[in-house]
Amino acid sequence: MPHALETRVLLEHAEDPRLATLQGYKELVDGYSTLEKAYRSMEQDEVLKALEDSGLRGRGGAGFAMGKKASFLPRGDMEKYLCCNADESEPGAFKDRELMQRNPHQLIEGIAIAALAAGIGRAFIFIRGEYDRQADILDAAVLEAYEAGYLGEDILGTHRNLELVVHRGAGAYICGEETALLDALEGKRGNPRLKPPFPAVQGLYGGPTLINNVETLSNVPRIVAKGADWFRQYGTEQSPGTKVVSISGGVRRPGNYEISLGLPTRDLIYELAGGPLPGRSVKAIYPGGSSSPVLTAAEAMDLPYSFEAMAEAGSMLGSGSVIVADDTVSIPHMALRTARFYHHESCGKCTPCREGTNWTVKMLERVVRGEATPMDLDIISSVQENIMGHCLCVLGDSMAMPVSAMVRKFRGEFEQVMAAGEAEHGIDPHLVVDLSPEALGAAS
Amino acid sequence: MTPVDGAGASNPNLPVDRAVTVGREPSSSPEQIPQLAEVDCPPELQERIEALMARYPERKSASIPALWAVQERYGWCTPEGIRQAAAVMRVTPAYLESVASFYDLLHTSRVGAHRIEVCTNISCWMRGGDELLDAFRAAAEGEDVFVTGFECLGACDIAPMASIDQRYFGPLVPGEAQTAIDQLLSEDAVLPEKSLERRPLAGDTEVPR
Amino acid sequence: MSHEKREVTVTIDGREVTAIEGEMLHDAARKGDVEIPVFCYEPKLGAPVGACRMCLVEIEGIPKLQTSCSTPVRDGMVVHTRTDQVKKAQNAVVEFLLVNHPLDCPVCDKGGECPLQDITQGWGPGKSRVIDEKRHFEKPIELSPLVAIDRERCILCYRCVRFSQEVSEDAQLQLLERGDRTYVGTFDDRPYVSPFHGNITDLCPVGALTNYTYRFRARPWDIEQAGSVCTLCPSQCNVSFTVRDEKVKRVLARENPGVDDGWICDRGRYGFEMFAAAERVTEPRTKGGTKVSYEDAIARAAAGLAARDGKVAAIVGDASNEEGFLVQGIVRGALHSPHLDSRPAAGPGIDAILDLARPELQATVTDIDDADVILVLGTDPLQSSPILDLRIRKAIRRSGARLAVATERPTALDGGAEAIARYAPGQASYFIGALTAAVASGAENVATPLAESLRDAGKIVIVWGERLGASATNELLGLARALDVDGPKTGLSDGFSAHQQVGLLEVPEVANARGLREAGVLPDAGPGLAALAVNGYGTEAIREALIDRSLDGLILVGVDPLRDFADTSRWEEAINAASFVVCFSTFATATAAKADVLFPLETHAEKDGTVTHPDGRLQRVRPAAGRPGDIRPGWQTLANLSLALGHDTGVTSQPTAFAALTAAVPFYASITESNIGGRGIRWQETESGASVPDAGIASADARSRRVSGESTPASGTSTAAPGAATDSPDTQRDSASAEAVAAPGAPELTLGTYRDLWAGPITELNPPLKFLKPSQRLELSPEDAERLELAPGDPVRVSQGDKSIDATVTVHERIPAGVCFLAEGIAGANANALLNGHQVNVQIEKRSEVPA
Ligand SMILES: Cc1cc2nc3c(=O)[nH]c(=O)nc-3n(C[C@H](O)[C@H](O)[C@H](O)COP(=O)(O)O)c2cc1C
Ligand code: SF4
Ligand code: FES
Repeated sequence: MPHALETRVLLEHAEDPRLATLQGYKELVDGYSTLEKAYRSMEQDEVLKALEDSGLRGRGGAGFAMGKKASFLPRGDMEKYLCCNADESEPGAFKDRELMQRNPHQLIEGIAIAALAAGIGRAFIFIRGEYDRQADILDAAVLEAYEAGYLGEDILGTHRNLELVVHRGAGAYICGEETALLDALEGKRGNPRLKPPFPAVQGLYGGPTLINNVETLSNVPRIVAKGADWFRQYGTEQSPGTKVVSISGGVRRPGNYEISLGLPTRDLIYELAGGPLPGRSVKAIYPGGSSSPVLTAAEAMDLPYSFEAMAEAGSMLGSGSVIVADDTVSIPHMALRTARFYHHESCGKCTPCREGTNWTVKMLERVVRGEATPMDLDIISSVQENIMGHCLCVLGDSMAMPVSAMVRKFRGEFEQVMAAGEAEHGIDPHLVVDLSPEALGAAS
Repeated sequence: MTPVDGAGASNPNLPVDRAVTVGREPSSSPEQIPQLAEVDCPPELQERIEALMARYPERKSASIPALWAVQERYGWCTPEGIRQAAAVMRVTPAYLESVASFYDLLHTSRVGAHRIEVCTNISCWMRGGDELLDAFRAAAEGEDVFVTGFECLGACDIAPMASIDQRYFGPLVPGEAQTAIDQLLSEDAVLPEKSLERRPLAGDTEVPR
Repeated sequence: MSHEKREVTVTIDGREVTAIEGEMLHDAARKGDVEIPVFCYEPKLGAPVGACRMCLVEIEGIPKLQTSCSTPVRDGMVVHTRTDQVKKAQNAVVEFLLVNHPLDCPVCDKGGECPLQDITQGWGPGKSRVIDEKRHFEKPIELSPLVAIDRERCILCYRCVRFSQEVSEDAQLQLLERGDRTYVGTFDDRPYVSPFHGNITDLCPVGALTNYTYRFRARPWDIEQAGSVCTLCPSQCNVSFTVRDEKVKRVLARENPGVDDGWICDRGRYGFEMFAAAERVTEPRTKGGTKVSYEDAIARAAAGLAARDGKVAAIVGDASNEEGFLVQGIVRGALHSPHLDSRPAAGPGIDAILDLARPELQATVTDIDDADVILVLGTDPLQSSPILDLRIRKAIRRSGARLAVATERPTALDGGAEAIARYAPGQASYFIGALTAAVASGAENVATPLAESLRDAGKIVIVWGERLGASATNELLGLARALDVDGPKTGLSDGFSAHQQVGLLEVPEVANARGLREAGVLPDAGPGLAALAVNGYGTEAIREALIDRSLDGLILVGVDPLRDFADTSRWEEAINAASFVVCFSTFATATAAKADVLFPLETHAEKDGTVTHPDGRLQRVRPAAGRPGDIRPGWQTLANLSLALGHDTGVTSQPTAFAALTAAVPFYASITESNIGGRGIRWQETESGASVPDAGIASADARSRRVSGESTPASGTSTAAPGAATDSPDTQRDSASAEAVAAPGAPELTLGTYRDLWAGPITELNPPLKFLKPSQRLELSPEDAERLELAPGDPVRVSQGDKSIDATVTVHERIPAGVCFLAEGIAGANANALLNGHQVNVQIEKRSEVPA
């Protein structure tokens, strides 16, 4: 049963396995009724307006207003595309997986309605290759939708068409970046493209393209069915709606929780996820996936969980994935894990990211081995600064932001770890350091 | 004044490459777009790739799916398989190899009959992902099973977890690695209790460490 | 297609710069003398990729720094390139680039001419904070037999890979792996082989890609760069020779948008080692190889030729305009003979040549760039003028030009063509006639699909091969006229000459064909294409006249008939029949061995002279390297020979030779060495360009006859000699078709031949390119291969009458049944041996033994 603090809208009836079938979707949540209504009786502008009025912000990371983005697509007869971003590869994020696995038709219906809003005739779901099972589920659901006449040519006899193809990736985080996704979908290496031109103007195969996250699109049917006001009753002024939040790391009940945005972060962690494991305490969190600047427990707990509050606190809500580091976690090691991820995933196209990530990893490795000096911490910070704002896409920044936050906020711990490592390597025998988690507590 | 160290004059110690004196021979033949007739593509593979190409407005879009098909057929993206796909798609094998080598799940060198990816990213690492990887490595020793550490697989709720032949399992303890590999090799269902599919909707139950 | 170019003003570092709207900021800055460092930016490689991040600048109103290589200028933009924020970014990028760079500059061939070094010094932080291990690769390894790759030095600017993708379109060179593990490589570690791949060594901004032919051979301070023109093919690409100790050590591209776009092919880049081949003729010789002094040789040659006054003929091939001009002076002025030619086979008559020389019918190389349709007719540019292949690809890729191809043999461009027609060898004129009929009157025939491509095109460029032959060339003029009459009259764009919407660009058989013709090396025209009182014999007629002894002496300049001309045995007979042969040759060829007096020729690295590009651009070949041995300039030897024959040309130097040429060719009159400059000048664009003579038969009447489909008498009859074969008109014109090929089941196949890019001394006498030496392959259609029970790789004997050569079978899907192809000029198995000037059929017989 959902927790009292949860607000299940997207995950309504999600515990029921029948929801994944067309029949179940129709029976349990009146599925596809919005599609029928929209296709049969609504004009493109009407649908678009509902989306714009709702203030729905993208759930993939950047938080850009979805309706507005759809309105950027030029009108006209040219071939336009919709790409659903189901690449979900950011450490800490696993909400799209749940939404696709448990409620695939909600996504398909959302795609079909969004396509209508932007005059699009061809859509793709780009799903990460690791989500094989979820891709199978989507494939089956898409087939059902085609058979029921919700996809394909002349949908429900309305002379409107939509082709939908599930395209599996093959293991590369960068493909979640929207323009890299387009390259991957065009059969190339997933390298981000220069912007401008933005995809809304020139995207897939050079045509105008709308790219949205799975969760963003999953919100579409209900917004169009129930209206912007209904949607805005949830969340805050600037972060309307509900959000599926993935919580993981040092908590008792890791998992996806759908909340009304603006819920106190403390409730999210302590009430929904059950708080830290017995005998431990929360030291720091990534509030919005591994690319969000780390907040100390003290900074984070009293913040409402919303786009604006996280931004004000110098971090971000991103994809809405909270990773909790408890007091046993060594922040320098966590910084190294984080950097390693971005180093591994950097596409290599642009210099600051390709070289900055590998250099940062090498330096952090020296830190944890005790082969570094405090000056190296300054170099690490300066390298993060040199990455930020200089890359082709924001993958580089995505490492630089959390790493520099960690070095800044936990500098004492870095110095301790360096010293401890030195001791271990016999560099400085006079230094005796307590390596216990207690001794390595947060610097905050 | 004599120039320092041969500067300005021919330095007799500098080697002249044999390209200049006798010419070099290529180590193997260059590879352009192979003709279908040369590559001996199995008909099922050819049909499958052609069907994949038909799904997209531009045939090149099918390159990742086509490479998946090659990998399924041969266990990995073999040079021969890549040439076959290239002949069907009318692209150079170099193009497909370039694409394949970009992606972590496409293998351009031999891997085992089974593939296990163990997540070692932040959330899984916090809950013992490294130890789990070690356990899988040890258990797979000498078997036709490919084990690798992997970045976040999008299942931090079941950390520490592993993807075994493209299906998710977790949370796992190191001891379960051996069990999983035994089951895999004897073609039994792998750790049925730990399958992600069995997991109720998040928040409905507690996941023990 | 109007390209409105609006001017805008931008302020860069406080300076107002006028730029063209849409131009990239980096280029605009350069106009204001502000240099912004770049690595990945290279407009020739297509759209900017913005990868290296070296070019970040601050633009007022935009919070983040922007890459100037990819930001188009807008009016009123205010840009800063030297603020602290920008400097910090530049320092950062340089530091990042060096994180994994080995800094092995002391042993790096790029040292001293390395953009990475220069930019590090100019824009880098000046010190390194990196103490960590760098990435390692095996270094250097063979990327191809000509190019070494040192992956440790690579900064992943992707220029080389983009070249392979976007310019040569071979897609063989690729990036492999991801992130900082990325490296440049090929499929399965195969060698990278494309006819243009050497360009990647010019593009590489570090020492990652180096030429084996240049490794460790010189340092920048040891060398001189000398700009010249490559005359190894009609493309006449502009090059720069790297010279050390008077010898060429390297050839670089020297960008000239009107000619080559800054690319050269591997022939031009790596061919230079043959300049020093042991086979090089380095002093005058008499028969049997005895070396003699120039004075002695000239005296002997003069005596021998004078004794045959009136009965001497000359054939000129590889020669400058001045050399050609001097040869025609010798033949006509000193030896009183009208017989000379510069074409390997019977060509069109002077009327057609004059028609083709009309400036308004002339397409330039740059016209290809904005053509709506390009028709490639009777030539494979890749084999005969490689740089045009790249140019045509570029037009298709970048400007959406449409391509139609009509050839006997499949071409390298087929893949990009929207319409392809194959006609049988010898059927070119019928095919073009059919095409003309389809264009002019909408006739339904085999050429209709091609005609459809040409229909509503605003600007058509026809790239045609001299190989088409005389009567097809006449038909070509009819086609051009038909297109002009019926084409839409709107859409005229600049850059296209006068009133025509159709332009012709020839791919001739020899490098300076146009220059030689215009200098008067034709049987029916003198210098300036002037009409003659008496016409002489053309190449084939000269051969027949030698055999029947109506001619007796022969001057050969830069030609090797025994290798390059059709019907080898008949040529052998002709040269043997000549009682006196003077030969000018670069190498000791079989032909040269038959000379009574043999003079050496300079290579284009040694020569001083002018050449004329097929589009009329006069270019200057400048001496870059020393002449080996006792070689003297060609103009000098020829002028002295002329003098010894009592014909004083007044030529005492290259400038006087040039002056004599321009004085004799009215439409060259306003060309001077200074207006030729480094880029050349098209005579059509000079004041004197209008003095080109009118075509005598260029009357509407003659054309309407062609268009209406009546048979045309073969032109150039004056060149026909006793027994000489020209393509004879046929009555079955209406059936002109790709199917007009021997019916399946016939025991014989029609033979077509082609000039292989790699046949000849370029691969035989030049070690670096030896690996490309072609072997004779018999190319067959799959149908014929099946019918004859032949599989790829089978050894066969191909015979025509009592002549035969050996070859290996290849099967090609795009060859129509009934025809087969062999390459010309291949030592030992030369297709020229089977030809006789007519369309020939061959028998094919499988050999049991495998060729060695
Ligand atoms: C490196 C990188 C990775 C990203 N990964 C994802 C992803 O996995 N899923 C996703 O929806 N958006 C991802 N994004 C954000 C997308 O670029 C894009 O903003 C988003 O798909 C837009 O959808 P939305 O507006 O619905 O959020 C990523 C961005 C970057 C820079
Ligand atoms: S920031 Fe990283 S991932 Fe993004 S383009 Fe640059 S190298 Fe690629
Ligand atoms: S030159 Fe602009 S990013 Fe490389």
